[in-house]
Amino acid sequence: MFEWLHPALVYLVGALLLPLVPNGKARAFLILLVPIVGVIPLLTMPFGEFFQLNLFGETLTTFRLDKLSFVFSLIFSLAALLSLIYAWHVRDTMQQVAALAYAGSAIGAALAGDLITLFVWWEGTAIASVFLIWARRTEGSYHTGMRYLIIQIASGVVLLAGAAIHYRETGSLAFEAFSLDGVGAWFILLSFGIKCAFPLLHNWLQDSYPAATVTGTVILSAFTTKLAVYALARGFAGTDFLIPIGATMTLFPIFFAVIENDLRRVLTYSLNNQLGFMVVGIGVGSELAINGTAAHAFSHILYKALLFMSVGAVLHRTGTAKGSELGGLYKTMPWTMVFCVIGAASISAFPLFSGFISKSMILSAAAKDGHYITWLILLFASAGVFHHSGIKIPYFAFFAHDSGKRPAEAPWNMLLAMGLTAFLCIAIGVWPNALYSILPYDVKYNPYTSTHVITQFQLLFFSAIAFGTLMRTGIYPPELKSINLDTDWTYRKIIPAVIKFVVMFVSAVWSELVRGAANSVSAIQNTLASFYGPEGRVARVQPTGYMVLWLAILLGAALLVNLVELP
Amino acid sequence: MADHKNSKRGHVDSFIVRSLLWVDDRSKVDKFFWGIVVVGVLLTLLDLFYKKKTYFSTEAFFGFYSFYGFIMCAALVVAARALRVVLMRSEDYYAPTDVESEDHPEFDLNRKEADV
Repeated sequence: MFEWLHPALVYLVGALLLPLVPNGKARAFLILLVPIVGVIPLLTMPFGEFFQLNLFGETLTTFRLDKLSFVFSLIFSLAALLSLIYAWHVRDTMQQVAALAYAGSAIGAALAGDLITLFVWWEGTAIASVFLIWARRTEGSYHTGMRYLIIQIASGVVLLAGAAIHYRETGSLAFEAFSLDGVGAWFILLSFGIKCAFPLLHNWLQDSYPAATVTGTVILSAFTTKLAVYALARGFAGTDFLIPIGATMTLFPIFFAVIENDLRRVLTYSLNNQLGFMVVGIGVGSELAINGTAAHAFSHILYKALLFMSVGAVLHRTGTAKGSELGGLYKTMPWTMVFCVIGAASISAFPLFSGFISKSMILSAAAKDGHYITWLILLFASAGVFHHSGIKIPYFAFFAHDSGKRPAEAPWNMLLAMGLTAFLCIAIGVWPNALYSILPYDVKYNPYTSTHVITQFQLLFFSAIAFGTLMRTGIYPPELKSINLDTDWTYRKIIPAVIKFVVMFVSAVWSELVRGAANSVSAIQNTLASFYGPEGRVARVQPTGYMVLWLAILLGAALLVNLVELP
Repeated sequence: MADHKNSKRGHVDSFIVRSLLWVDDRSKVDKFFWGIVVVGVLLTLLDLFYKKKTYFSTEAFFGFYSFYGFIMCAALVVAARALRVVLMRSEDYYAPTDVESEDHPEFDLNRKEADV
C-alpha cells in the first residue's frame, strides 16, 4: 500500500517544503508529521528490497528492509520524533531543515543496500548535521563545525575510496558482510571507525556535540554514531580485533568524564563509552552479541537523548551546562531532575531500566565466549558509567552545593519529550520482550535472573558508596572551570605549531639561500664589471695600431709555420 | 505557567521538592549515605544465600561484584584526578576557535526565574 513511500525521502521532502510554510505552529506541526509519516513504510512493508535503481549497469538498492535495518531505522524514527517534540519551540529555519535532513539521511543510510547509496546518505548526515553546530552562530561554533565537517567528510571520502577498491576487487557493491582479505574492506572499516569514534579517532565527538544548540545536541546524539554501529554490525560482525577496540572505547572516556566540567561534554564521553559496549558486541559476533548490540543501540539512543534533553533544559533556563556553575536546581526544576535521574538509572543499567536489559546481553555474550579481560573491563566500565553519568550528572546539576540559581521548570514541550522518553526507558526495562521480539535473531535470554539482578545491584551500590566516600573525604575532584586536553590537542595545537615551525624554518632557509645567491650573483657581476664595465680593462680605448700590430704578428706566425717543414 | 503553583502539577512539584529537602541537611545526608552502605553490605551478604551462576571462577568469590565496584571506582577517581595535573587547561585555552569560553547565545535560551 505504501510501497511508493521511501522513509528517507519523506524527510527530505519535508525539509524542502518547510521553508514554504509560515514559521509558527503550522510549521511545527508539519515537522512533527514527518517522522510519523516516515515510519509508516517501515511498519507496513514486508522485509525485502525496494526502490532499486540502475546506475551504469549496477543495481542500487535504496530501501532494504530486514531485521537489522528495521531495528535501526525504527529507533532513528523514534529518536527523530522525540527530539523534534523537544525542539518544538525552535523557530530557526536552518535548524529545522537540518534536523529533518539529518534524521532522513541517517534512516536512508540504515536502509541502504549498496555502498554507493550508503555513501550518499553517509555524506548527507555529515553535511546536514554540521548546521546544527553552526546554528549557534558564534565564532567558536563556526570553527568547531569546520573541524567536525572535515572529519565527517573525510570519513565519507574514505568510504567512497573503499567502495571503489572493493568493487575492483570483488565486482560487487553490495553492502553485506565484508572479508578483510581485500584492501577495500579495510578502507570501509576505517570509514566506519571514524564515525563510530574509535579510540584516537574519537575526539570529533567530544569537540563538536557540546558546541551545538540546546536542541541540536539532542538531535546529534542519536544518529551519526549509531549509524556507524549499524554499519559495523552489518559489515564486520565477528571481526575479532573489534573486541579490544571496543573495550578500549569503554575504558578511556570514563576517566575524562570524571574530570570534565561541561556536563554536555561529560555525556559525550559516556556516549563514547557506550559505543564501546556495542563495538565489543559486534566483535564477539555471536547471535546473542549482535542482539545485544542492536538492543543496546536502541535503549542507548533513548536514555542518552533523555540525558541530553535534561541537561539541555537546564542550559535553556540558566544559560550554562557547567558543573562548576550549577547545583541545587531540584528545587525549581523537579520534573527535569526526575527525568534526568531516570535517564541516569537507565544508562547505569539499574534493573527495571532499559540499559540493564541490553547491556547485560553484551556482557553475557563476552563472558560466554570466554573473553575474560574484556569482561573485566566492561564490568569496570559499567561501574564507571554509574559513577560519572549516573551520579555525577544529576548530582552536580540538581544537588551538590546550592548555586543560588532558581530557574523555572523546563517548557512544556521539553517536559513532554522527556516524559515520553523516560516512559520508554522504563517500559523497555520492565517489558524487555517487546524490544527482544524485533531483534535480528531469536532471543533466548532472560536478563532478570537472580544472579544478574543481585550482582548488578552489588556493583552499582558499591560504585555509589565509592562516590560517597570520595566525596566525603574530599578526594573527589571538584568541578572546576577548565577544559581537558584530548587527542584534538594534536590537531589543534601540535600540528599547527609544527606547521608554523616548518613554515618559519623553510622561509628562513629560503631567505638565506636567496640572500646568498643574490650575494654571489652580485659578486660575479662586480668581477665581470671590473673587466667589461666602463672602467674595465676590456673597455679601455685601444688604438687601431694595436690591431694592425697583432695582425702582422699573426701573419708572421702563419708564414713561419709554412716555412718550417716538418720531417 | 505563573499560576501553576495552585494547579495539580504544582502540588506534585512541591511534593517532589519537599520530599528531597533533606539533601541540604548534612546530618540527613550522612544518614542516607550510611543507609546506602547498610544496603550494600546486605546485598553482599545475599551471596551466601543463593547459587550464583557464573562464567568465570573470579565471579564466584564472595562479594566479588561489591569489592570490584568499590575498588575500581575509587581507582578511577584517583587516576582521573591525577590526569588533571597533566591535562587540565584554562577555559580559554583554545579561544577563539572553541565554544568553551563563550557565553551560550541568548537567542537559543529562554531564561526564566522560578516563581518562588
